[in-house]
Amino acid sequence: MLSVAIVTAMVLAANPALAHFGTITPSDDIVTQDDNKTLNLQIKFIHPFEGHYMEMARPEKFGVMHSGKTTDLRGSLKAVKGKGADQSEEFTFWSADYQIKRPGDYTFFVEPEPYWEPAEDVFIIHYTKVCVNALGLEQGWDQPVGLETEIVPMTRPYGLWSGNLFTGQVLLKGKPVPYAEVEVEYLNASPGNSTLVAPPSDPYVTQVVKADLNGVFSYAMPKAGWWGFAALNEADRKMKQNGVDKAIEIGAVFWVNTLDMK
Amino acid sequence: MVKFINISAIVAIISLALTGSAMAHKVNLFAYAEGGKIYTESYFPDGKFVEGGRIMVYDSQNKLLLEGVTDTQGLFSFPIPKVDDLTIVIDATMGHKNSFKLQKSDVGAGR
Repeated sequence: MLSVAIVTAMVLAANPALAHFGTITPSDDIVTQDDNKTLNLQIKFIHPFEGHYMEMARPEKFGVMHSGKTTDLRGSLKAVKGKGADQSEEFTFWSADYQIKRPGDYTFFVEPEPYWEPAEDVFIIHYTKVCVNALGLEQGWDQPVGLETEIVPMTRPYGLWSGNLFTGQVLLKGKPVPYAEVEVEYLNASPGNSTLVAPPSDPYVTQVVKADLNGVFSYAMPKAGWWGFAALNEADRKMKQNGVDKAIEIGAVFWVNTLDMK
Repeated sequence: MVKFINISAIVAIISLALTGSAMAHKVNLFAYAEGGKIYTESYFPDGKFVEGGRIMVYDSQNKLLLEGVTDTQGLFSFPIPKVDDLTIVIDATMGHKNSFKLQKSDVGAGR
């Protein structure tokens, strides 16, 4: 009995259930007329709190929605290598530049290649979005892109103070997901975060909130920097790994940035 | 005396209300040069057009080059007056005012 407990503890220590997050981080999330109009976007598959990278294949889709129109940006993706501070190996992530030309909200989205996660025996696909506002026109942020699953913000997703409540609705095939589970993580490597946050214990790493009957969830963000929200569902299809059908975790991920009020 | 206090209180309340309204309805102007013309679009943050707003175009020496009025779609366009750094000012009513700097290189590229 004791040995079972010890082994369990060892397994937990060696392989904590880290939350995976697709990320898109733009170099600026509110572009004013004096700002650089060339945005750099970095697309990664990471554990945001720990800063651990995972290998990311060239995304299946990468695009932007502006004024209700979607533009394919897959051709602008460039492969880059990077790693977390305590990782020895480098991993592939993706970088793209985008020229802001018009006022309004730009919702960037990524659909990655399915990622095989042997530890969880599933494929993972995180449909990831971030919204950038340009030139004073606050229009477009509340519109869905039409992804298989996505979070539609109900809080305007930019110009947020730390401490603000972020509210979003989880959609799966365009319909709200009642009681969806949403994982929340802080990007410890956020620009401007000078001291990495050390979690007192594992539950502090990934916050978990559940949506209501209408798929609506909220979370108050306690620190300045980037916050990721991942609503996880199982797809109604399977994919084969070594000839065996495996489940697919589809995540709807949204990123927002907060600043301290000072 | 009592009457005087009342009036100043009312003035203060009106000024506060005006300031608040200006903040919530900040006016914006966006401009670009294309095909020999400069196009301007004036809008409030929620996308509402600035109708009948006054447009003033200044050169890099702050000399007024031309003036105009926005249409029902918040639009006003004019032939490129000069290849220079231009400051385009939108003046809506009630003190809603903003400006946009159009770089000389952008003006030149739109000729």
